[in-house]
Amino acid sequence: MAVKKYPHFHYDNCVSCGICVQACPVGAIDLTRRGKSGKYKNNFPEIVNDRCIGCSMCATSCPMDCINMTADYEG
Amino acid sequence: MISCMGKVLRVDLTTGTTTVEKIPDEVYEAVLSGKGLGAWYLYKNIPAGADPLGPDNILGFCSGALTGTGAMMTGRWTVVCKSPLTGGWGDANCGGYLSPAIKQCGYDAIFFSGISDKPVYLYCDNKKAELRDASEYWGVDAVDAENMLREAHSGGKIPRIAVIGRAGENLSLISGICNEGGRIAARSGVGAVMGSKKLKAIVLAGSKPIKCADHAKVKALSKELGRKIHKISVPKGLGGSLAIGGIGMGKSPVTLPLDGSLTPMLFKEWGTPSNTPMAVMSGDGPLKNWGVGTPEGGGLKMALAYNPEKINKIEEVKYHCYSCPLGCGGRLDLSDIASTEFYDTHKPEYETLQAFGPLAMNSDLNSVLHINELLNRAGMDSISAGNTVCWAIECYENGILTKEQTDGLELTWGNYEAEIALVNKMINRDGFGNDLADGVKRASEKYGGKEFAMHVGGQEPGMHDTRNDPQLAIHMAAEPAPGKHTIGMSIQYGAMSLCDICSWAPPATMHSKGEDLEPTDTMAYISKANACYSMLFDGIGGCYYAEMMGVHMYKTVDFINAAAGWDYDGDHYMEIGARIQTIRQMFNVKHGYAPADVKLPKRMLGKPPLSSGPLKNVTLKTEEQIALHWKAFGWDEKTGEPLPETVESLGIGKLMEV
Repeated sequence: MAVKKYPHFHYDNCVSCGICVQACPVGAIDLTRRGKSGKYKNNFPEIVNDRCIGCSMCATSCPMDCINMTADYEG
Repeated sequence: MISCMGKVLRVDLTTGTTTVEKIPDEVYEAVLSGKGLGAWYLYKNIPAGADPLGPDNILGFCSGALTGTGAMMTGRWTVVCKSPLTGGWGDANCGGYLSPAIKQCGYDAIFFSGISDKPVYLYCDNKKAELRDASEYWGVDAVDAENMLREAHSGGKIPRIAVIGRAGENLSLISGICNEGGRIAARSGVGAVMGSKKLKAIVLAGSKPIKCADHAKVKALSKELGRKIHKISVPKGLGGSLAIGGIGMGKSPVTLPLDGSLTPMLFKEWGTPSNTPMAVMSGDGPLKNWGVGTPEGGGLKMALAYNPEKINKIEEVKYHCYSCPLGCGGRLDLSDIASTEFYDTHKPEYETLQAFGPLAMNSDLNSVLHINELLNRAGMDSISAGNTVCWAIECYENGILTKEQTDGLELTWGNYEAEIALVNKMINRDGFGNDLADGVKRASEKYGGKEFAMHVGGQEPGMHDTRNDPQLAIHMAAEPAPGKHTIGMSIQYGAMSLCDICSWAPPATMHSKGEDLEPTDTMAYISKANACYSMLFDGIGGCYYAEMMGVHMYKTVDFINAAAGWDYDGDHYMEIGARIQTIRQMFNVKHGYAPADVKLPKRMLGKPPLSSGPLKNVTLKTEEQIALHWKAFGWDEKTGEPLPETVESLGIGKLMEV
C-alpha cells in the first residue's frame, strides 16, 4: 500500500525564500502563513489547497532543510 | 550548461507563430544566460537602424544561468531590447518570481518580434505556448490586470505574470514592465516596446525541472548564506540615526572600504529606504533637481522626514523575491493615510523616495507613498518620472514654463499636490503631461530649460550624485545603457573585495576623497572590474544586493562552478563579464549610437560646483577618466568603440557566427 506523504514545515529556520513554492509542480504551496522571523513580520509557506501530490519537490529544494515529508494518512 | 534549459522561445507577434530555438552550449560558456544571452541574441537578430517601436525590434525576457538551481539570490529577470529612450542598447531587470517561471516553461529566454494587430498575451506552460486575446485586460492597470490574469489561470501551478500598465500601453518612453503587484523592470523604456507590440502580458505556468550539476554543494552554499542573513538583526528604532551617519560620511575626508555584511543589515531592517536620510546628509542623494547642497536641500529636517522607521511602522509584512533570504521589500498598509485612495503599496525603493521627495524639495512622505502606487500601477519608471517632474518645477520657478502651459498647475518646490497631479497627467498622456511622458530630454527640446534637464544620452540618472562618487560618474556616462546607478560605485567596490577573486582588480583601500577626482589607470581598472562583475551577476540572474555583500559573503565563483559543474576561477568569470559588456557596446555601435557623444549634464560634473554641503567645490574630470575606462576594456579611447583585437581576443566574432 502506497503511503502518501505531505510536507511538514519547520519555520524556525525558514527564510521565506519561496524556493519551495516555485518548486511545487501543482501550486499547492504559497507564502501565505503570517508569522515572525525574529522581530520581522514575514510570510511563510504552507499548503493552501488539496492539490498536494506528495512528490517532495518542495522538501528536496529547500536550501534551509526546513521541510520534511510526513505520512499524514495512507492513500 | 547544465543549469540552463538550452532553448529559447521566439514569438512573432505579426504572424502569431511561436518557434523553439536551440542555443548551442558554447553560447552559455561564453556569456552565460540572462543579460549575456540577451545581448548575444539581440546583437545578431535586430537589424541596424531598426525602429525601437517597430516590428524589427526584439523584446526579450531572460532568466538567469543560476536561477532555479537552489542558489540563493538569483531570482532576477532581465528585459532586453533596443531602447526607444536612448536609441541604443536597452535593458531593465526586476525581482519577483518570473525568472524561475521562464525556465520552468522550458526556456532560458522568450523573445518577441513583430507587432500584433490586436492586444494579446502569451500563455505558456509545459505543453504549449500560445498567444491569446487580451482585449479585456488592455486599459487595466498593471496590478489589477495581473490579479485578473492570475485568477483566470488558477487551478494548477501558480502562474507568474509580467504585464504593462497604462504607461506602456500609451507608449510612454519612460515606462517599464511589472510583476508581483507593481514591482517594475523600469529602465530603458522597455514598457513602451511591449506596448508597441500590443503585448499586454506574459503568463507562465510551467513546472519543468531545472537541473544543477552539484545540488548538494549549491544547497550547502545557500544554507551558509541563509543562516548568516537569518541571524542578522538591527536593534529597533535606529532609523533616525541614519541621518547622523550620513553627516559623518559627508564630512569624512576619506573613503573607507565598508564590510559587505552592512548590506544585509541595513536592507533587512529597512530595505532601500534606509539610504534616504543618509543620502540627504552625505551628498549621495541629489537635491532640488541636482541644483543645491545639503543645507539648501532641507538639511536634517528633510532627512528625518524620510526616517525609514515611519515606513516600518506601516509595514504589514516583509516581501521576499524568489530565492532571497533577505527580504528588502515589504507591503505597506496605507488604510490609515487619508490622503491616498490606495489601501496598500509595495515599500517604495530609495530611488522613488528621493526622486519625488528631496529632489523635488518635498518633505511629505505620504504623498510619495501615493505616487509610488500610482507609478507601480501605471508601470512608469519613478527615476525618469521624478527627474522629469523636477525639471518642470525648476522651469516653472524660473519662468520658462507658464501656468497656462502647465494646465494650471502651480509647479513650485515642495508642492506635492501639483506633483501628484502632474504624475497623473503623465500616466494618462493628458495635456501638458503628454509632453513629459517621454522623459526630460524630449520635454526640454520642446519647451527649453535644457540646463535643468537631467539626462544622460536620453535616460534620466538614478538618485546618486556623481559629484559624491567619481566612480559612479564613469558608469552613468560610459555604460552602454547610460544613466544607470547599479553598475558600479565606490562604496559598492569597497564592499565587494573583487581583488580576492580577480587578479587584475585593484584592492579597495582607504583613501582621501580628493584622490578619486584625479584620472588614473587604477581607477579605470576599478570601474572595469565593477562593470564586469555587474554583467556577470546579470548573466546568472543575481541580485545587486548579493553583489554588494562581497565575494566572501556571497560566493559567486563557487555557486557558478557548483551549479554548472565547472571549475573556472574568478578571472574566467570576469572575462565573461567583459564579453557581455563589449557585446552591449557593439550593439550601440551597430545601431549608430555614438558612445563618445553621451555626456553628463554639467550639474552632474560640478560645473559650476555647488557652493555648500559635502560636495562644495567638487568638479569632476569624468571625460578623461572615461578614456582610461574604455582603454582598460580594450575599446577605442576616443570613440568608445570596441577595438577589433579586443573583439577577437574575447572570441566575439566567432560567437556571433554560432
